[in-house]
Amino acid sequence: MIEVESFSKLYGDLRAVQSLSFVVRSGEVVGLVGPNGAGKTTTLRSIAGIVRPTEGTIRVAGHDLARDPVAAKHQLAFIPDEPQLFEYLTVEEHLRFVGRLYGVAEAPTRIPGLLAELELAGKRDVLPGELSRGMRQKLAIACGLLHEPEALLLDEPLTGLDPLGIRKMKATIVRRAEAGSAVLLSSHLLHLVEELCHRVLILLDGRMVAFGSIPEIVAGRPELAGLPLEDVFLRLVGRAGDGDA
Amino acid sequence: MTGALGYLTFRSVANRVSRQAARLRTPRYLLALVLGAGWLGFIFWGQQPPPPGAAAGAWVVPAGSLITLGLVLWIWVSGGDRAALAFSPAEVTFLFPAPLPRRALVRYKLLRTQLLVLFNVAIWMVVAGRRPGLSPLLRACAIWTLITTLALHRLGAALVRTSLTQHGRFGIRHRVLSIGLVVAAGGALAWGLHDVAPGVLAAARLGEPALRDAVSRALEHPALAVVLWPFRAIVGPLGADGPAEWRAAMLPALGLLALHYVWVMRSDAAFEEAAAEASLARARRRDTRKASGMLVRHAGGAPSAPLFALAPLGWPATALFWKNLAAVLRRRRARNILLGLAAGGAAAAAMSGDPENTLARMAGALALTWLGFVAALGPQWVRNDLRGDLAHADLLRSYPLPGWAIVASETAASAATLTLLELALAVFVYLCYLQDPSLALSPGERLGLLGGVALLMPPINFMALLLYNGAAVLFPAWVRIGAAATGVEVLGQRLLTTTVFLILLALLLMAPAAAGLGAYEALAGVLGGWALGPAVAAGLAILAAEAVLLVRRLGHVFERMDAAAVRA
Repeated sequence: MIEVESFSKLYGDLRAVQSLSFVVRSGEVVGLVGPNGAGKTTTLRSIAGIVRPTEGTIRVAGHDLARDPVAAKHQLAFIPDEPQLFEYLTVEEHLRFVGRLYGVAEAPTRIPGLLAELELAGKRDVLPGELSRGMRQKLAIACGLLHEPEALLLDEPLTGLDPLGIRKMKATIVRRAEAGSAVLLSSHLLHLVEELCHRVLILLDGRMVAFGSIPEIVAGRPELAGLPLEDVFLRLVGRAGDGDA
Repeated sequence: MTGALGYLTFRSVANRVSRQAARLRTPRYLLALVLGAGWLGFIFWGQQPPPPGAAAGAWVVPAGSLITLGLVLWIWVSGGDRAALAFSPAEVTFLFPAPLPRRALVRYKLLRTQLLVLFNVAIWMVVAGRRPGLSPLLRACAIWTLITTLALHRLGAALVRTSLTQHGRFGIRHRVLSIGLVVAAGGALAWGLHDVAPGVLAAARLGEPALRDAVSRALEHPALAVVLWPFRAIVGPLGADGPAEWRAAMLPALGLLALHYVWVMRSDAAFEEAAAEASLARARRRDTRKASGMLVRHAGGAPSAPLFALAPLGWPATALFWKNLAAVLRRRRARNILLGLAAGGAAAAAMSGDPENTLARMAGALALTWLGFVAALGPQWVRNDLRGDLAHADLLRSYPLPGWAIVASETAASAATLTLLELALAVFVYLCYLQDPSLALSPGERLGLLGGVALLMPPINFMALLLYNGAAVLFPAWVRIGAAATGVEVLGQRLLTTTVFLILLALLLMAPAAAGLGAYEALAGVLGGWALGPAVAAGLAILAAEAVLLVRRLGHVFERMDAAAVRA
């Protein structure tokens, strides 16, 4: 479970996120959407323990990220949009490395399954420099999934994946949620969010504009009834007419 | 279009300067700048005024020309100088498809290099600006001419090397003049050295005056005189005693600079191709954040296994140590180094007992010199630590590890690498002098000395590298992340950095040294020579306490570090 309470982040004078509170329950997939600069990545990076909140509390699997960051980070995985890999470690060595970092005793038995699931089995002794962009992304995802995190943070998870990879990635996200992980994913692909997410959190200029399932969001807003998420999103962020010809 | 390149250069510099200036609002950066400026002022104003009638240094030209020759040889021998051609990914994206003549790109590259050259001229002026002989302006011009010529040579050499590797026989035909000159110079140098080496080596045993005379005579050897002429010419203005002599010396120096400029500009046909490849290599390195110039290279196929297997359970930070060690040393490379060391060491040890055979002693002296260089410069060179990994700061910070554990394990990896390198050299030196009867030390003392190196170098290296890693954590916007900068144009910066860090290390070692000496003084009366044991232990205990304090403090800073400030 991910709990965010009154979270704010300032960069100098810029208020990137303002008084944000929400919960991602175990087994739930929440989509984080918003225009560029809305504060999505700052929110994800703060929950991942990369950026320190200016105000507020973040708890991962019950552990306060500020007070007990190591225990909190043990329970989460952050997969950034741009895969960050070490050039001099092979595919399998990356997973062994992550296994030790997170103390995964079953790593030797889990690694082959993960490699097969992400179609990397034939690349286990290959260095990242020899992998395509999509495969590098898959390796980053495998590293994030090895320790079976209770909280999974995904920033644009489908970037660089081929159609089959996208389908498999979507299945993986669903499977992880069904296994009990709390999944928070940020994406501009609203059809993906609509398809995968139980609830959607819409951010605009660092503030929460709406949070809930799509029926919950449109309830009380008759003008949004029956519209796809893309239209709901554009109307909520006040850009409904921007894309029209 | 060249106006656009000028605009790009000007705006890039202006924005960079304003960004760095904005950082001074952070007290830590401001304090560092004030201290740094104060230290530079101390160096500049603290130089002793020249004694009346002092010569500019009869050794400047011969010593400078030999050092320059060494640098040029290194440029041609080493394979890393393609960095001289590299453009940033953004430059490749915007400039290469743009309707620009190749010469404009070459000029742009030279212009960018000039910014670095001018910065380093300023540093050299601070370090050596008040020496006797020349006014600061004339000295600055002399230094600029020397560094610019060498920078152009580096660029030209990189073009020739790339042309050869890319075009094979065609490349050789295309570069026949350049290659012919290099081969002729190499041959003449070998001939000259063959003739003069015995005399210089014999003089070295007789003391400094004899050595100076022998070197002076050696430089007059016809072959060496011809090969060294260009080097004497570009160093000449630095050794001038006054404006008239400077003007006379500047003419051939500027002539050589002009020749180099023509050489590089005529190479423009190969430039774009070579630059594109070099830039691609650099982009790849940047993408994956190569940590050091000595990373394990993989020509193809799977890399060999890391030095040790990583168990899934145990102290998690060991994983970072394992990862960073695997970056520079894997089993195949370790095995090759050990085999080479065993073969070379065995041969040297066998020869060391023969008083007539000087080969082992020469090899030992070279290895000892190299060991000194590695001890002083190694912490800048070996960078498989936070200086490589800070580019992955986001990833590191998402790991379930406290900041101090990350700092400690990252530093330990480069300290282990540096120590292994030093130990290999120390063992080789020991074997070279194993049976040398002329050495004043007994075999037991020699072994003790080797043991001392093995005992003291790991903690000292750890402290030295902790300082470098500390600088990266404290000043991520100022410290270069990834491979160290190379090239003659940054020698001034490197000299200054090394000096600063050596002074800081010396300060850190003062308390442990005092504790060790104190313990020895206190116990020597009772234990005699055995007091050395507790004395070393006392010194190491203080050193360990300092290391723990520093690691904890840096870990705290790392946890709060602004990852966006990291200078990629």
